[in-house]
Amino acid sequence: MDTEQLLLTSLAMGDRVATEQIYNQHYPVVTKWIQNNGGAEPDAADIYQEAMVVLYEKSQDESFRLSCKIGTYLFAVSKHLWYKKIARQQKSPGLLPDSAGYDDNRDWAYEDDINAHKERELYYSQLNTALEQLGEPCRSLLKAFYHEDKSMQDIAISFGYTNPENAKTQKYKCLGRLRKIFYNAGVK
Amino acid sequence: MLTEQNIWQLAERYADGTLPQQELDALEQKKASDSAFATEFNECLNIIHSMNDAGKQARFRNTLKDIQAANTATAKPLRTIPLHQHYWRTAAVAAGIALLTSLSTLWVTQHNNNKMASQYSLLKRDLETYKRSQSRLINNIQQQQQNTPAAEVRYTGTGFALTNDGYLVTNYHVTEGADSVYIQSRNGSYHKAYTVGYDQKADIAILKIEDKDFRFGKGELPYSFAPNKRKLGTKVYSLGFPQDEIVYNEGYISSKNGFDGDSSQYRLQMPAYPGQSGAPIIDPNGNVVAMITGKDASSEGTTYAVSSKALMTLVQSLPKSNNIKLSKSNKLNNLTLEQQIEKLEYYTCSIKVYKK
Repeated sequence: MDTEQLLLTSLAMGDRVATEQIYNQHYPVVTKWIQNNGGAEPDAADIYQEAMVVLYEKSQDESFRLSCKIGTYLFAVSKHLWYKKIARQQKSPGLLPDSAGYDDNRDWAYEDDINAHKERELYYSQLNTALEQLGEPCRSLLKAFYHEDKSMQDIAISFGYTNPENAKTQKYKCLGRLRKIFYNAGVK
Repeated sequence: MLTEQNIWQLAERYADGTLPQQELDALEQKKASDSAFATEFNECLNIIHSMNDAGKQARFRNTLKDIQAANTATAKPLRTIPLHQHYWRTAAVAAGIALLTSLSTLWVTQHNNNKMASQYSLLKRDLETYKRSQSRLINNIQQQQQNTPAAEVRYTGTGFALTNDGYLVTNYHVTEGADSVYIQSRNGSYHKAYTVGYDQKADIAILKIEDKDFRFGKGELPYSFAPNKRKLGTKVYSLGFPQDEIVYNEGYISSKNGFDGDSSQYRLQMPAYPGQSGAPIIDPNGNVVAMITGKDASSEGTTYAVSSKALMTLVQSLPKSNNIKLSKSNKLNNLTLEQQIEKLEYYTCSIKVYKK
């Protein structure tokens, strides 16, 4: 396996060192480009992080193989996200930079990835809305287990359950309520 | 009969992949025979999968934020990643190319700057020069300004309204380094203005008149802003203040790019005089397409103007709190040129800049 594929595999597992290496290696080029195209530094960092998330989500699929270098992919996706962002801000496609769309066909090759990413983000935000409606202690309990990756043992202690089994029973109850809210809201 | 809790347990073990083959088979059978159970099980499984994935992504996002925060905290320079030995040669070549590129870029930009100074002249009206050549005119100006600060007007330029309630735009070089900026509206009254944003490179400054009750005209702006570049040869006209009286000029777009190929500008064939910096360039339908910024020093009649697109980009980049809503409707397109100008006069103003 070559270095890039190895990095991607580690990235898929959420490995901090690999993530940091990829992040820092391509950060300057991408953010510089965004800044040269009308973005402030925080904008640039936001866009770049979003592109990293797109890459991360892609890497979750075990059969995924990048057809180009990681840097090329991140750069293309960031460019695309940035154009979309300015287009959204200006609400008029006529204001895209002159080069948008026809400067380089490859830049638009990842449209599918970005659309999939957008759909996923929408889905997660609906899930999150449902989660917010749960009320306590369910919201915190589910967040501790799924978002913070805490063990049932830890959760039992911090939420004051006598043992992990009781905490687990509570977790299932919470999931049941989440399911009702989520599916009743008409989300499939 | 399975309780809801049993189903969750089953779905969780299924998602983790810890269900033995025997139970998997039983599950498949039950799903096939009991469709209500199948739906319930799939919903549970979906929730678990989604929560797992959303959680993982949230952790990944946190890692990214962490890395970013660590990088900004360690005073900008990014953490260096040790290069493998066999990369040294590539690195050396790359560094050599980088050096060459940066040196040549430096040379090119410097080269351009020199050119800039000699060929490009800004059109703010320097009243010092006028003082020497036309002393009577300057006296005139001073007499008119008894209700303004004691300081002398040093430069004048032109500006035009972005919104009826006091946002206007002019050139950055007009207001650069100013102690105070006043606009003189159509009825001759002075209003103090302050800068809310600028783009030095594009040479645009956006001003706001301090007086909250100020209005340029009776209603919303009659013109709209062209969102994209107009075609070569489009006839255009401008209204500006090369003198105290408003002056009309006309011409056409002679190149889609401006000075030295600057794509944010147009090159126009139109006379322009000092004091017309910041004057609107309008097409026959009453759309603002550009704003005058400077002229070619070596040839008369070649004027450069920054496009409305660059202008709108700057407006969009301002904080939302400014609440600048550019007019989308155009009330000029059915009017004759004379009628258009009559309306536009209300929204075009002279800008007086005071400097120590």
